[in-house]
Amino acid sequence: MDTMEWVRGSLDHCVKCTICETFCPVSNVTPLFPGPKYVGPQLERFRTDDGSPDASLDYCSGCGICTTVCPQGVKIAEINSQARAKMKAQRGIPLRDRIIARPSAMGKVGTPLAPIANFFLKNHAFRWLVERTLRVHRKAPMPLFAGRTFQSWARRHPPLTPATKAIVYFHGCSANHFEPRVAQMAVAVLEHNGYRVIVPRQDCCGLPLQSNGLFDDARRYVRKLARNLEPYARRGYDIVATSTSCGLMLKREAREILELEDDEDLRTVSAHMFDICEFLLSLHERGALRTDFRPLDMRVPYHAPCQQQGHGIGKPALELFGLIPGLEVVDSDVACCGVAGTYGLKTEKYDIAMEVGAPLFRQVTAVATEVAACDSETCRWQITRATGIPSVHPVELLYRAYGLS
Amino acid sequence: MATLHTDVLVIGGGSTGVGVARDAAMRGFSTVLVDRGDLATGTTGRFHGLLHSGGRYVVKDPKAAEECIHENVILRRIAADCIEDTGGLFVSTPIDTPEYADRFVEGCRAAGIPVEEIPVAEALRREPRMNPLISRAFTVPDASVDSWKTVWACARSAQAYGSRILPYHEVLDLTVEGGAVRGALVKDRRGGEDVRIDADFVVNASGAWAGRIAAMAGCDATVLPGKGIMIAMNHRLVNTVVNRCEMPADGDIIVPIRTVSVIGTTDQKVADPDDWQIARDEVQKMMDAGENLVPGFRRARALRVWGGVRPLFQDKAEGADTRDVTRAHTLLNHRQRDGVERFLTITGGKFCTFRLMAEDTVDALCAEVGVEHACRTADEPLPDSEPGRYYWLGSRVERREPTLHEDQLICECELVSRRRLEAAMLRRETVDLDDIRRTIRLGMGPCQGGFCIYRATGILHQVEKIPGEAANRSLLDFVQERWKGVQPILYGDQLRQARLDDWIFQGILDVAHLPGGWVGAA
Amino acid sequence: MSADAVVVGAGLAGLTAGVRLAEAGLRTTLVGKGPGAMHLAPATIDVLGYAPDLVERPAAALPSFVAERPDHPYARLSADTVAASAEWLSAHMPPLAYVGTLEENYLLPTAVGVPKPSAFVPEAMAAGDLRSGSRFAFAGLRALKDFYPALLADNLSQAKLPTGVTVDARAVHLSDPGTEADVSPLGYARMFEDREFRSVVAAELLPRLEPGESVGFPSVLGLHEHRTTWLDLQDRLGRPVFEVPTLPPSVAGIRLFHALRDAFLAAGGRLLIGSTAAGAETKDGVVTHVVIQTAAARPTPIEARWFVLATGGFAEGAIFLDSYGEVHESVFGLAVSGVPAAGEPRFVPRYFDDQPMGRAGIAVDERLRPLDADGNVAFRNLFTAGAALGGAEPWRELSGNGLALASGFAVASAIVEWAS
Repeated sequence: MDTMEWVRGSLDHCVKCTICETFCPVSNVTPLFPGPKYVGPQLERFRTDDGSPDASLDYCSGCGICTTVCPQGVKIAEINSQARAKMKAQRGIPLRDRIIARPSAMGKVGTPLAPIANFFLKNHAFRWLVERTLRVHRKAPMPLFAGRTFQSWARRHPPLTPATKAIVYFHGCSANHFEPRVAQMAVAVLEHNGYRVIVPRQDCCGLPLQSNGLFDDARRYVRKLARNLEPYARRGYDIVATSTSCGLMLKREAREILELEDDEDLRTVSAHMFDICEFLLSLHERGALRTDFRPLDMRVPYHAPCQQQGHGIGKPALELFGLIPGLEVVDSDVACCGVAGTYGLKTEKYDIAMEVGAPLFRQVTAVATEVAACDSETCRWQITRATGIPSVHPVELLYRAYGLS
Repeated sequence: MATLHTDVLVIGGGSTGVGVARDAAMRGFSTVLVDRGDLATGTTGRFHGLLHSGGRYVVKDPKAAEECIHENVILRRIAADCIEDTGGLFVSTPIDTPEYADRFVEGCRAAGIPVEEIPVAEALRREPRMNPLISRAFTVPDASVDSWKTVWACARSAQAYGSRILPYHEVLDLTVEGGAVRGALVKDRRGGEDVRIDADFVVNASGAWAGRIAAMAGCDATVLPGKGIMIAMNHRLVNTVVNRCEMPADGDIIVPIRTVSVIGTTDQKVADPDDWQIARDEVQKMMDAGENLVPGFRRARALRVWGGVRPLFQDKAEGADTRDVTRAHTLLNHRQRDGVERFLTITGGKFCTFRLMAEDTVDALCAEVGVEHACRTADEPLPDSEPGRYYWLGSRVERREPTLHEDQLICECELVSRRRLEAAMLRRETVDLDDIRRTIRLGMGPCQGGFCIYRATGILHQVEKIPGEAANRSLLDFVQERWKGVQPILYGDQLRQARLDDWIFQGILDVAHLPGGWVGAA
Repeated sequence: MSADAVVVGAGLAGLTAGVRLAEAGLRTTLVGKGPGAMHLAPATIDVLGYAPDLVERPAAALPSFVAERPDHPYARLSADTVAASAEWLSAHMPPLAYVGTLEENYLLPTAVGVPKPSAFVPEAMAAGDLRSGSRFAFAGLRALKDFYPALLADNLSQAKLPTGVTVDARAVHLSDPGTEADVSPLGYARMFEDREFRSVVAAELLPRLEPGESVGFPSVLGLHEHRTTWLDLQDRLGRPVFEVPTLPPSVAGIRLFHALRDAFLAAGGRLLIGSTAAGAETKDGVVTHVVIQTAAARPTPIEARWFVLATGGFAEGAIFLDSYGEVHESVFGLAVSGVPAAGEPRFVPRYFDDQPMGRAGIAVDERLRPLDADGNVAFRNLFTAGAALGGAEPWRELSGNGLALASGFAVASAIVEWAS
């Protein structure tokens, strides 16, 4: 690949216009983060391999909004991610970051022990202890273990017959261990539209490892995942994801941030990867989406997470909601809920994350009659934790409107 | 008319001139240095910033090579703060003569230059953007050096030893009496006053302009101005100095210096060191050369192009290709050559050997006036330099980090803070933003002043308490100065930047219609 | 994906076209790599400021201006269209409250103190009008590095106004509360939305003002609650208050962007920000698809009946000059006119001299459809608006937003007419 188009090379496109900084959710609420332009294309010119001069870049939440809005094509968030990984490699990665970056490992441990694990997760004293020892904020949203994984459900789930179409489902760690219902509803919605849903064996995509600077481990995970998914993609199957951030990891982030542009498996998977709402809307545009929706009489605030916006596909969930009679949806004009994966869990960043999300929480509280809708799991947990209002994946509203419950 | 008296008058504020002033002052002479402009604005401030290991000259010009490595070792010792220890690579690219590499190694050994062949894979690991088709790679102790910083450090050292440094003082004429040069008549170009400088001895260190100064005393010093152009690329395409392992040729080197990498250079004889152009085909030649060393070079962002004129001395001026003239320096004793006493011209040479040039010059001066003082410039570090503590690229970021909340960033590209800018304005006692630029790199980054020129002018107006019209003049001059260096390389991202800068200066600020400013678009 | 109309570019031209198309009932998709130049430029609608002398009356100046410049985009846009587009903007974006006419230019101070001609201006800038002379105090904010009121005032006092009047201007430096040394314009805009902050600023400023002085602030008086912010400050100070545009990012421009984007979404438009329009599919002189690059490693074609190219010019990278001197339009591969022949200079050494490349851009027919190298319509259903248009030097003429607005307005009219 052309070295000038590497992530670092894209800094050449920066004309200092500062549009990224007008959008940055973090630098707009705290002076601790000097902004994406500053730590990104600007400071990158001062970085070599011998030592990291700045620590403030660690306050970047990695939400990726800067890259999404940069009209010049600078891969700002990606430059920051790479710089941070180098910095952390030099200065040492805290144990906390090593733990929270491994949701699938946590899941493997926690699932069989779900009742006990959940008891502790809900226990204030335990959370206080975790905050003191690991610096995970005691109020930060932590999911509970479901007890039974989606994978084990899927293995027993009879495939749709007869079916003329098939699709591969990438569920990600959270749906597997924490929210299998989301995955089950996604399967039901796809089956309702005539798809046989294939659920290949799959592990973590490596995104939390990547955002915590553990690049080598992240590469190992994502390559293995791509190897598992590639045979389907090669045969022409589309792959849908309900986790919008993990979907983005497979579409683009791993290739760019982890410098895996030459990984053919990953490229093939990316070419067939769809966010589930993107996929359903494309069905609708071809006249292939069932629209036998029953009315849902509710007012729902919808938040398109920063990672969803990174797909560059607009907000397909909003258009799908428009097909449901009675459903009133209010689109949040807020870029980020603050949590940005694992950022908002960290004690030193929790307050920042809450301030980033504050306008969203106000809006959710004002608008929601029953639930809020949001495509990303960590954002849903953050919204619920901050507002007390249940947050659901867009497929859940479709699922309900199809009368599948 | 003001009159100054001094033992030694040095003409020329480039590296050689300040080197001579420092050396002479350290040996106890009272010294005055004059330059028609600011310090280091001639050839010294207009090269690619290479601290030669000498590797470039080992085959073609072994004497120059020996001088280079000798001085390389000394400058690393006395001017570490001005040097980034990048190391250098000589690589055989597909267009290079394969046999040259062995001659190169032999030459390095003969000249005493530490050289080591490393596997190609190792060279590519160090410099991943480099042409993967290179066949051999050698390491040498090349480095990059900030010539402005070095010159100012020398000047400060000279001042500490009692020298007077007078930039913007142009020599109008030399005073010749009784077969000896007795001083000069100079004009203060900023104050407008003429000044008479009486001197026991005059050193002409005016580089490519040396012929003109010598002629004022009726002496001959024929200097061939050899123009070379350089292009600064927006960031570090390489972190090591990368040379083609080949006889010296156009575009045979990329030097990583400060935030940029500089490709150089060409060599073309020009008639007048003050009057030459950068031609489009020269730029294209550099681009092709860059592409050979770093594939994709043409798509990378070029920030700026500039040229400098080498002072190449040759007794017979006619016909020579400037590249064939030796890079070693020449000291002309005009008593012996022209019968004019107390007048030396030092020319030729190169930035890396400026200290040695100064030493030779002041040695000759001592001999002429019949005193014996030993040279100490090789042993005493420049102010702020400590042996072994090299400049680090990340240092500005490191300094910025603790002041993020207390100080404004005025030039965002080069991380110039408001305090630093104000201090430079007061220290330099100048309203010329271009002088400030060379002191602290104001406006030298990707946006080429698009965002900081307005800010710097507003601050200048406040700090120096100058009238609006003077501030406007500074602003417009600086805009013009920045444009001069970008317009010959305006393509790709830099054109995009230039258009945004147009919007700022014309569409938003409308600077073309400032009072006392440019009148009318035509 | 499919749509009736696809607009490429999210600047003033693209969004104007997008809003009008969506409001006319066309299924409209707008693709933008990011927000466009509105975030950077002052929100004034400059129609024609210099020709090359100062233009006091744009409506009167336009006929001879285009007569001398037959390739100028204004030669394809009647003065009526220009006026209608500005009227549309004022009527459609009530919170922005534009004022002015095409008959006369305001002369508003720039941040460096030059009286700059503008035809339509946000009402919060109008009180800075210098034409009748007046007394002004310009307020400097402690931590804003993009505004130097002393230099501004110094220059304004020297300004030669066509009306012959003189301006009495001075600076007042505020020591507004806060501890950060470097606050962005947007940061100040948020602070000004806070009543408490405004009351502190007003309390410090009021005793230092002299009778009859209007007060100029840098353009940071609120973002989402700009009008309330501005009016409240005016009340507190008991005199006209106005904003002076300064360096990018432009808070006033962001307000304009928000208003147009919200109108586009409210009209049912589909907005794809963060994707790049990487190419197009064409057939028999008609564009059938624009191909966009999303995050996935596959091209995404968007099928439509009409297409608008509003990607901007060289500044936006929409028109690109490579290192060999070749010029490219990046989406449709259109011919770029006004490029000096090979071997001729593109730029000249003196910055303010006429730059030979200055007017390069897309040549269009009277309906703003791009022309190919032979002067024929390149694609029947492709229209161009904004800074991509060749023949203008918007930053010198001060015609940028005027051209963007009017051409965006006009291409939408042409498409809507065709569609009915």
